[in-house]
Amino acid sequence: MIAKDIEGFLLAEILADFGKQAIDPDADLIEQRVIDSLTILKLVAFLEESCGITVLDEDIVPENFSTVNSLVRFVEQKRRG
Amino acid sequence: MDFDLTREQQELKDGAIRFAREELNDKVIERDRDSVLSRELVKKCGQFGMQGAGFPERYGGLDLDIVSTIALMEGLGYGCTDAGLIFALNGQMWTVQMPLLKFGSDEQKDHYLTGLCKGDLIGANAMTEPGSGSDAFSLTTTATRDGNYYILNGAKTFSTLAPLADVFLVYATVDRRKRFMGITAFLVDNRTPGFTIGRPIEKMGLRTAPFAELGFNNCLIPATNRLGREGNGATIFEDSIEWERTCILAGVLGAMKRQLEQCIAYSRQRKQFGKAIGKNQSIANKIVDMTLRLETARLLLYKAAWTKHAHGKAALDAAMAKLYVSESWVKSCLDAVQIHGGYGYTTEYEVERDLRDSIGGTLYSGTSEIQRNIIARFLGL
Repeated sequence: MIAKDIEGFLLAEILADFGKQAIDPDADLIEQRVIDSLTILKLVAFLEESCGITVLDEDIVPENFSTVNSLVRFVEQKRRG
Repeated sequence: MDFDLTREQQELKDGAIRFAREELNDKVIERDRDSVLSRELVKKCGQFGMQGAGFPERYGGLDLDIVSTIALMEGLGYGCTDAGLIFALNGQMWTVQMPLLKFGSDEQKDHYLTGLCKGDLIGANAMTEPGSGSDAFSLTTTATRDGNYYILNGAKTFSTLAPLADVFLVYATVDRRKRFMGITAFLVDNRTPGFTIGRPIEKMGLRTAPFAELGFNNCLIPATNRLGREGNGATIFEDSIEWERTCILAGVLGAMKRQLEQCIAYSRQRKQFGKAIGKNQSIANKIVDMTLRLETARLLLYKAAWTKHAHGKAALDAAMAKLYVSESWVKSCLDAVQIHGGYGYTTEYEVERDLRDSIGGTLYSGTSEIQRNIIARFLGL
């Protein structure tokens, strides 16, 4: 569910102009330039609002934001507290 | 809504004005000409509480909230005619001390922060590179992990306070494929083997805030000197630059007021064609415009400070304040030179130095063009 929400957000808000239908959950979003220093702010705002978590500055590291799957793990970990 | 400073804030501001007038204004023309900043002045500012203004008492600070810190800086800018000094120490506070406070380990804070707050240490930020200015995250300085160390290689430029600094906050990439998320922050001591500090770069204004190029040639940094986590550097930098944009021009508000008062006094005293030049609408109108710029700049900057105090983040307000205050300061400096006529063009009257110093404000901490880009982004453009 979280994975679908994140994928949906990325497709609609960040990749809207590229006509993509799906994102490989293990594809590196940073290396493939899906996420950059500007769009990550949108992504953080989305995660906080739709997933009910607080993203700290120190959370914004590759191991949490590299792929859809790493984002899912990060959200689940945050929710567990 | 209350636009007045509290009694405590006003006392802080008045104290800063007294301190600056008594301690910071000796031979400013000569220091500007020779591009000199002394450790003694930095130490004096530290003892007064400038560098520690917004930092915890535990680290030798005054533990002021951001609005009170702005009031103190406004007072310093009003009382001190050395804009380079105020700029340089603000740069240290917001781009070295604040990242240390927010992201540093207890050991790192204990080791550096008290000395920086007290004026015993000087710190410099090292982000900009010869090939990456506005596009800061395209930096190419590398940090390669090697056991308990990182090896730094690359070059930096425009590092304010570098010629005097004891410690540098250096941004380097641990993995260029990770682009902005490869950027990592490191604390580098000035005597680290392989680290070189170039000669001060001559510049148009803010000459008492020396900056220099830096070189890293297989520079070995203990892993314990990494600030924050690997890949967290871009976020650390963004956070620090928002603090800087909010606060670094507070001194300019004071300088704008001092300059305005100087122009009013000069326009009353200077007589041409049998009357004070201030009686000419062309002069009076300039002074009115300067007054409006000061009032609007002050409102924007205090609002940005309030927003950051109330909400933690203030990216839009900080960009608007930084853009408006810096550009207003340049316009008012041009007016001030024009009001003073030929005398305004001389070093003695000091408005020419204000003008030279003011230009820097539209360039450092993100150019005016970058601030407009940020604001446009918030507008959905």
